[in-house]
Amino acid sequence: MQSKIFLYSFFLVLSFSSCDKVITLPTADNEVKVVIEANITDQSGPYFVKLSRSINLNETNIYPTIENGTVVISDNTGIKDTLKYASGGIYKTKLIRGVYGRTYFLEVTVDGKKYTAQSTMPNKVNLDSLRINIFPINGKNQYSIIPGFTDPIEIGNCYRFIQKINDTLDKNYNIFNDNLNNGKVNQRPLNNGNKDLTIKVLDFVSIEMQCISASAHLYYYSLSQQSGAGPGGGTAPTNPPNNIVGGALGLFSAHTTQTKVIFIPIY
Amino acid sequence: MKDGNNKNYVVNGGLGLISSRLSIEGPIQQDKSSFILSGRRTYADIFLKASDKFKDNILYFYDFNAKANYKIDDKNRIYFSGYFGRDELGLGSSFGINWGNKTGTIRWNRVISTKLFLNTSFIYSDYNYDVGLKNGETKFNVNSNIKDANIKQDYTFYFNPKNTIRFGFNSILHTITPSIFSGTVNNSINKVGRSGLENAVYFNNNFKANQQLTLDYGFRVSAYSIMGGDVYNVYNGNEKTSSILLDKNSFGKTYINLEPRITGNYRINDFSSFKLAYARNVQHLHLLSNATASSPSDQWIGDSYNITPELADQVSVGYSRNFKNNTYELGTELYYKRMQNQLDYKDGTNINTIADVESALLYGIGRAYGFELLAKKKMGVLSGWISYTLSKTERKIEGINGGNWYNAKQDRTHDISIVTILELNSKWSVSGVFVYNTGNAVTFPTGKYSLGGQTIYQYANRNGNRMPTYHRLDLSVTYENTNKQKHESSWNFSLYNVYGRENAYRISFQDDPLDSSKTQIIQTALFRWVPSITYNFKF
Repeated sequence: MQSKIFLYSFFLVLSFSSCDKVITLPTADNEVKVVIEANITDQSGPYFVKLSRSINLNETNIYPTIENGTVVISDNTGIKDTLKYASGGIYKTKLIRGVYGRTYFLEVTVDGKKYTAQSTMPNKVNLDSLRINIFPINGKNQYSIIPGFTDPIEIGNCYRFIQKINDTLDKNYNIFNDNLNNGKVNQRPLNNGNKDLTIKVLDFVSIEMQCISASAHLYYYSLSQQSGAGPGGGTAPTNPPNNIVGGALGLFSAHTTQTKVIFIPIY
Repeated sequence: MKDGNNKNYVVNGGLGLISSRLSIEGPIQQDKSSFILSGRRTYADIFLKASDKFKDNILYFYDFNAKANYKIDDKNRIYFSGYFGRDELGLGSSFGINWGNKTGTIRWNRVISTKLFLNTSFIYSDYNYDVGLKNGETKFNVNSNIKDANIKQDYTFYFNPKNTIRFGFNSILHTITPSIFSGTVNNSINKVGRSGLENAVYFNNNFKANQQLTLDYGFRVSAYSIMGGDVYNVYNGNEKTSSILLDKNSFGKTYINLEPRITGNYRINDFSSFKLAYARNVQHLHLLSNATASSPSDQWIGDSYNITPELADQVSVGYSRNFKNNTYELGTELYYKRMQNQLDYKDGTNINTIADVESALLYGIGRAYGFELLAKKKMGVLSGWISYTLSKTERKIEGINGGNWYNAKQDRTHDISIVTILELNSKWSVSGVFVYNTGNAVTFPTGKYSLGGQTIYQYANRNGNRMPTYHRLDLSVTYENTNKQKHESSWNFSLYNVYGRENAYRISFQDDPLDSSKTQIIQTALFRWVPSITYNFKF
């Protein structure tokens, strides 16, 4: 019982006055790894592959770019595209086209080490509309966006939504699949932001909907589950499982993309 | 819980700032039967109601206990007991979680002869949790429960002064319903509950070989049978190799295990003794924890075609002795535990929505070892105890941490607690509790990278880091009002976390809001001091 009362006090005080402070942790060794960010979309090219390296946690976020890599993307119709280095670690496609149902193969070589990945572009599920969902909490209206789309009847569709509030990226991951509500019209709202960035009246909210592969879903969903460490944290965090063979971080994703914008009027 | 008073009616209670309790007990028939009813309720949330900002918060816990016993004759007695407890957490009508337990027990105690006693029990329990979310147009509930129906007979046979034999059987029907969504959100693949029948027989003998040596030995044979009503998929690694559909009420595979145990106790002399023990334990229900903290949404799963019973073998040696005529007692124990068929699930699995959670399970082994020390002062103006545990708990699961050993989340190297009670006089007493333990094993990032404009953290070893050390002192002062006859009462004043240690509840990592090129590490502590006043009464 005693512990139960304390548990309640925990929640009570959590809602009143949990106290945050900035701390430092001793520097830990970090294995520098190659990071691959490769996307192919259903829009016209060029598509980009970015190569960089990971850094130690306490370093400034300036990620070393890789300029001397070779990047090749091919597809299951026999098209092979050797990407051309642009700048800032970014390589550009010349030939490859994003087509629904097509499988793409990525081959990256950095310092003699080869990394490979493959991704199949899912069929497009149309983003029909955006709706505003209003719900009061403690007397104050909260706003979230419901993307209107109808999930196809075949199971296995995965979605990622990127939300920008007045052009500022909302860092929450909105990652859906059809393990729930397969084949139905979506009624699930996206996250309504966080304490630093919430949706308010007179905001413009832009939503990019991506139909993603199962491996991209696994990657982003794993990221969405990470929320710090300790009794109050989420699942034990690890590097999200990705589709790159060879030990690089990052993801190769062939996906669709559609964007709509909605204005939050005064109610 | 104790039986009710079978001579007088007694009311017992306590009124506190965040919780209250009340119990009533008394005879049903003088000296023959009695009852006790008790209830508790926390009401921390009434303080929240007073604040505009938190007026919608719901936060309470309550429970009821009822117990009655009836003496049929000198040889037969029946006990009834029931428990009902519930936790509610919520935010107006928009969000709510509640979970709770219901149990009911009937026990029949029978004296068959002067040497043979029998207890027959029927026990039913139901644990369930329900998460409800209403968010504008979205309304859904997630429900899950475990129901157990249990029948058991326990015989005690006082064979002779040297041997006391206990034996009996136990049958439990487990029904486990996994998280099922309802409302505007529904599972795409229908999930149904699963059942399993657990049967066990046991035999145990307590043998007093001589003045020095006592042997307590026996065994239990447990069998768990998978029951029909659901599809069981069989996996070989990631590959589904077959599906087994069992008809409702039919039986699938049965796992049978022998659980031997033996404890030897050797009295070296009047004040010291030595103990050596071995025991095997088998577990047929397995916990799949969704978070680092155990939460009401933890899921349980029974044995299946993939999941085999968890086995734990433990050996321990202990030494204990008394000092100064039993005023002081010292106990020490060294143990090693080996665990087989441990479960975890693959990274990135949502165990609440996945169609078949068995497709995402990983299997491995575990080990735990340590040293425990307990020193007690049992008598005198100052009494209390000190306990210390030095231990290590690890797991090794293919698919996690590169298949290498890693610290279990509950691994705590040092764990100390000190409890003291000081009786100042017949009215005033002071008690203190001090706890100190190594922080939980957690995983902090070692590095970072950028993807899609977001900072993503890079991790190395699972649970290779530690939360800061946890320590805390609580003090309480009790004033007993003893001068009134028949009507006893006391006041208790307590202060939780006396020196206001900011114990870390969570450590999180984010881009520094003032300089997004830096990573900021935030430690969240929940509170520092919590004072409390309770008035206890009895009449």
